Amino acid sequence: MSLTRLATAWALLQGLLIEALPFLLIGVLISAGARWFAPGGRWLRRLPSHPLMGPLTGAALGFALPACECGNVPVARRMLSGGAPLGAGLGFLFAAPVLNPIVIASTWAAFPDQPWLLLARPLGAVVVAVGLALLLGLVGEPALLQADLLAERRLHQPLAAVGLLERSSGLVGAPAPSALGAAADTAPPRPPLAELMRHASQEFLQLALLLVMGCVIAALVQSFVPRSWLLAVGGAPTLSILALMLLALVVSVCSSVDAFLALSFAAQVTPGALLAFLLLGPVIDLKLVSLLGLLFRPRGLVLTTAGAALMVLLIGQWVNLWRQ
Amino acid sequence: MIPLQRPPEVPPPLQRAALWRAASLGLWALVLLCSSIDGRLDLLLRAVFHPLVALAGLLLLLVALVQLRLAFGAGRRERGDRRQARTLLLTTAIALLVLLLPPAPSFADLAGQRPRDETAESELSFVLPPAQRSLTDWVRLLRCQPDPKLFAGDPVRISGFVLPMEGEPPQLARLLVRCCLADASPVGLPVAWPAGQAPFAADRWLAIDGVMGLKPAPGGGERLEVVPSRIRPIPRPARPLEP
Repeated sequence: MSLTRLATAWALLQGLLIEALPFLLIGVLISAGARWFAPGGRWLRRLPSHPLMGPLTGAALGFALPACECGNVPVARRMLSGGAPLGAGLGFLFAAPVLNPIVIASTWAAFPDQPWLLLARPLGAVVVAVGLALLLGLVGEPALLQADLLAERRLHQPLAAVGLLERSSGLVGAPAPSALGAAADTAPPRPPLAELMRHASQEFLQLALLLVMGCVIAALVQSFVPRSWLLAVGGAPTLSILALMLLALVVSVCSSVDAFLALSFAAQVTPGALLAFLLLGPVIDLKLVSLLGLLFRPRGLVLTTAGAALMVLLIGQWVNLWRQ
Repeated sequence: MIPLQRPPEVPPPLQRAALWRAASLGLWALVLLCSSIDGRLDLLLRAVFHPLVALAGLLLLLVALVQLRLAFGAGRRERGDRRQARTLLLTTAIALLVLLLPPAPSFADLAGQRPRDETAESELSFVLPPAQRSLTDWVRLLRCQPDPKLFAGDPVRISGFVLPMEGEPPQLARLLVRCCLADASPVGLPVAWPAGQAPFAADRWLAIDGVMGLKPAPGGGERLEVVPSRIRPIPRPARPLEP
């Protein structure tokens, strides 16, 4: 491990981190804004809970958030903790990084001569998001979500939806804070500005710490695994898809710019592999793993990675059959 | 009777969580703002993102100032728990480290790990006089118009860093970046280095004046290479990355 290589890894880390921090801040500010404008988030609980309509509605909400996947995590956490149906929250988490105006515009800017990609990317993202929401829905919330998120979520769900013993505070268990202890149907008061700032600041720092951890892993892997290993199999249909999926996991760039990165090797790989790169990166990558750890238990993380990889592989195979 | 649970003890410096939050946020704001001012961003990110980073730095600074005000406000001695304390300490330490240890990447090392940029440009400035074409312009032009004879004898004035190549002499190269250094991909031109001269070290930045010359390519046929008439070592340019 040479010092030169380590210095390069340190620079890569700073590049990834400084590029992602503004998007993280946007996400945290939107999440804080939602707490301010809709305290208690009653609208969240009115989102459809239908297994198909829920994720689709969540995915459509992505158009309101022009941020990449780093900014998405705090907003999705806010949705889930506010009591949004699981499907809607997950649909938003997984599809919004692609289904937003900036990402669609950058995909179009990078591939103006490939209109199929402009349609296939958002469609594929919706399919993956709905598939993942259905898959993770089978696990059940207690086994899927982190304990503190689950506890916050329980406070905002109507009693009919949650067994009394499942609530760790409120009617049973520890006394709830007054702002949250109100019945789920009455709007709690708007949080004081100081409390809002405290919460947003702490959330930003917590997410920044996780982001740093993700960037450290991504920078080290990028520095010590030559990228030619991943692109060596460009022409083979299945292998090229797998290689580009692995590349998406490793590179960890934001969804708003990954189309430009894909442009640099688009000529060397199959169309299915190209789409696979553009679909998998926004759902899961090395930088995101630690951020998603704030939402999911390890089982949820493993299922998300495996489920997304399988669906993206199938979509990529299908595109290769269709485009060749 | 159930004994009342006391909150876990927190180290004394962390008893004022708002103050530490202000410090940590302030340091991160400094990281973003200083990077925007001292040219660090030119080494890490494509220029289109620079205003976003500066804006995020200003916003963070504002939030840090509000936290500072809260920390000294009446009755605001907020005690953080251990988890909060750990987050605050670690983020403060990391921000300090990033602030004090600026990036010093080896472009040659990075480029050696990456495949060449193969982008086919849809728009190229063919009207640009040869002597005004940058190294990147030349590479893109040769990719679009692969007949080397068209450019033989054209004057060349380019700059770039020395990129060692496997099995052949080093090239003069540049890094293309679409977002940040993580997605950098190299482009390079072969150079007919003067015989008998000690080779330049990897990463050394050079400005070369010369002409394009034809040379047999390793795989058959002919290829262009820069035949220098003058080679000058130069410091790394302020904006070393190209879009």
